[in-house]
Amino acid sequence: MVFNSLTFLVFFAAVLLLHRLPIPWTAKKFNLLVASYVFYAAWNPPFVILLWISTIVDWFIARAIYNARDKGRAQRRGWLLISLAANLGFLGFFKYGEFLLQNWQALMASFGIEYVPPEWNIILPVGISFYTFQTMAYTLDVYLGRAKPLKSFLDFSLFVTFFPQLVAGPIVRPTQLVPQFETPRQATRDQMLWGFGLMVLGLFEKVVIADAGLANVADRAFGVGGPIGFADAWLGTLAFSGQIFCDFAGYSTIAIGAALCLGFALPDNFRMPYAAIGFSDFWRRWHISLSTWLRDYLYIPLGGNRGTETRTYVNLMLTMLLGGLWHGASWTFVVWGGLHGFYLAVERWIREKTGVAGDPVGTGNRLALALLTYFLVNITWVFFRAENFEVAARMLAGMFGFAGDAPAVLPTIYMVKSGVIVAGIVAVQWLMRKRELEDVVSRTPWWVTGLVCAAMLFAVIIAQGSGEAFIYFQF
Amino acid sequence: MPVTPVHEQDDVTVRQIPLAHFVSMGWLVLVLVVAATAAWEWRMRSLGLRAGDLDDGPSHWAVERRKLEAGDHDGVVIFGSSRLLFDTDLDVWEEMTGRRPVQLAMPGTNPRPYLARFADESDFAGLVVVGVTPGLYFYGLVSSLPQFRDLDFWMEESPSQRFGHQVGLWLSGCLAFLDDAYKLAPLVERIDIPDRPGVSRPYLEVWKLSESFAGRQRRMWPRLETDRRLQDHAMRVWLARDRGAPDAGLLTRAIDESRRAVEKIRARGGEVVFVRAPSAGALYERESRNTPRSATWDRLLLETGAFGIHFEDYPELQGLELPELSHLSRESATRFTRAYVGVLRERYVRLQSRAVDGSGT
Repeated sequence: MVFNSLTFLVFFAAVLLLHRLPIPWTAKKFNLLVASYVFYAAWNPPFVILLWISTIVDWFIARAIYNARDKGRAQRRGWLLISLAANLGFLGFFKYGEFLLQNWQALMASFGIEYVPPEWNIILPVGISFYTFQTMAYTLDVYLGRAKPLKSFLDFSLFVTFFPQLVAGPIVRPTQLVPQFETPRQATRDQMLWGFGLMVLGLFEKVVIADAGLANVADRAFGVGGPIGFADAWLGTLAFSGQIFCDFAGYSTIAIGAALCLGFALPDNFRMPYAAIGFSDFWRRWHISLSTWLRDYLYIPLGGNRGTETRTYVNLMLTMLLGGLWHGASWTFVVWGGLHGFYLAVERWIREKTGVAGDPVGTGNRLALALLTYFLVNITWVFFRAENFEVAARMLAGMFGFAGDAPAVLPTIYMVKSGVIVAGIVAVQWLMRKRELEDVVSRTPWWVTGLVCAAMLFAVIIAQGSGEAFIYFQF
Repeated sequence: MPVTPVHEQDDVTVRQIPLAHFVSMGWLVLVLVVAATAAWEWRMRSLGLRAGDLDDGPSHWAVERRKLEAGDHDGVVIFGSSRLLFDTDLDVWEEMTGRRPVQLAMPGTNPRPYLARFADESDFAGLVVVGVTPGLYFYGLVSSLPQFRDLDFWMEESPSQRFGHQVGLWLSGCLAFLDDAYKLAPLVERIDIPDRPGVSRPYLEVWKLSESFAGRQRRMWPRLETDRRLQDHAMRVWLARDRGAPDAGLLTRAIDESRRAVEKIRARGGEVVFVRAPSAGALYERESRNTPRSATWDRLLLETGAFGIHFEDYPELQGLELPELSHLSRESATRFTRAYVGVLRERYVRLQSRAVDGSGT
């Protein structure tokens, strides 16, 4: 079920109603659990079984790991490997099976061996990368001694499946969410209204900006079958940068708002990423729950920055390459991650050599570096959006002026709307760079906020979204 | 990669709530949104939109397609493009034969791939009426509309999409402004500003042509019958889309694919009829030039052995009104349906068995 659908509207109204009934807290949590399964099954019912398996495996294995805490490392490691094999096995089969077969075919062909893989008609379960990482975090925390196994199977099941963040995050840790399940929660009037406000903002980002405003511009530019000129290539890429942000940040904002309406708090997933100055700053602002997951469960276990300089760079690169692959089973995503790893490594090297830490002095310098960061981020988006390297090469050739006399692609109205919207996004993010939305709303006259909120909701209504899936569902 | 210590995220999340007059704000939002939506609804109605126009899309099509698999049908199905979709009056069909066809024609779409899949996958043994729009049928594309390119959608539609569709139908019955052609994005993109040479212009996308009712009964939008500007725009759109003549290989493949489909449907006791609905003016002339009747229609009938109704061959199919050269006005669509169903009823006994009104008048 997608947030921007009439089905979700009805579903969420029913869930809110049930959650406010005067019934015991355990019954309310059970309602939320069932609602979460319904939310997931509304996409494809059989795949709920995957959620159940993931829940049961990690519930029992985490307990087994904890119970074996005095029985030596080998036994605990054995249990952990079973958990990882189950979780990564599902992920590998459903998400990377075809990719692996295709690469095996190419490898065999390079040795002159003709191998024809079987036809791969496996559907990718929506959100599998998100809930797999979430359950793995639980088992890894228990293994690493950072947490004890949960006592309530109901709470753990709800942690795995809590519908606002089930299919596209934010990826939460048990410690962030589970304690909220332990005591009765019901949103106050202000929490509820603020939650609705966040949902309106998220819907506006998704339905109006990403889908109605920018999607067809990016689609047209990236879908062109031949050379593409400088302006078209840049506007297409910039449009995608706006689309991917508004699509994903929109989802996260709706998720946070929906959870808040139920009385639960989810962490921020985005903090004005296009105002980032440098790439370590960017990753503190973009998909925060994934970047911190990769840091805590991959980068640091690999050694982080505790070893030699070379080892640190290798760890950084490995983390970002795998982070790229997490997004999709394609080498273009690996290149996307690799470019980010390269940027991070270069930034680290420059900071090491110059001894400069933090933001540069002077608004002009900060703005220039922020624009440079945004420019480089857009180069990476080309690989993220392109279906293959041929398309990516074509776009980059256009962006760097090597396309020659390429025919015009984008209609004037597309150029105008993408230019205006993307400039607006970047400007707003720059102005909000060091501010929280909550602070801005607190300082703004209530009627101004009301006007803005009403305008956004009205735009959502007349945009009449068709329930387009969120881009990150495919990950 | 941030290098802050492990588990900065380990704290229970607490969200700050702004200090604001939420109740006043909520009332303001409610009043403004209701007022703006009411004004928008009024404006859309003044443009000719009506509540009860249910729109049309893959979910509408999927509902009808699933009727065939469930056996919930009267033994007649229509495949085609927008012409047989807009030009067929399903009520007249039912009145004349006692059977209501399952309407599976799709705008901007070549019915041939759907017919081929239907012949392969379905056990349907009734009458299949196939609309032939020469500018689509003998070419390679599936659909000029992305939403109609997924041949499997009717099987893959999720429970959420099915439920949302039902809610959408209910809302469309109450609100006129819910119309795919009058969403925010297409309205913005209809601004007529100059484009660079060679660019495919959003201004020349198809605007609203029809209204859609239960069972995918579609009729020409009343405003289009009288509004000269809309007619001129539609004609501009049709005449701008010249695909040239299909090459000989493509034509042969199209006819071979049709023949195989007809053979399969006949082998299980069904029958296939092709119908060429009218076109007019410069559009008709272009179609005659790109897809001459002798090389396309006549050959299609000859090689498939199927019966066909071409509007040029029947006096009762002459003198019909096509306000934008491609589709019939509502009154003409009723006349056209009455005439072509009359021909079919004479030819096929199965259509006579349930006829309610023998004269069809």
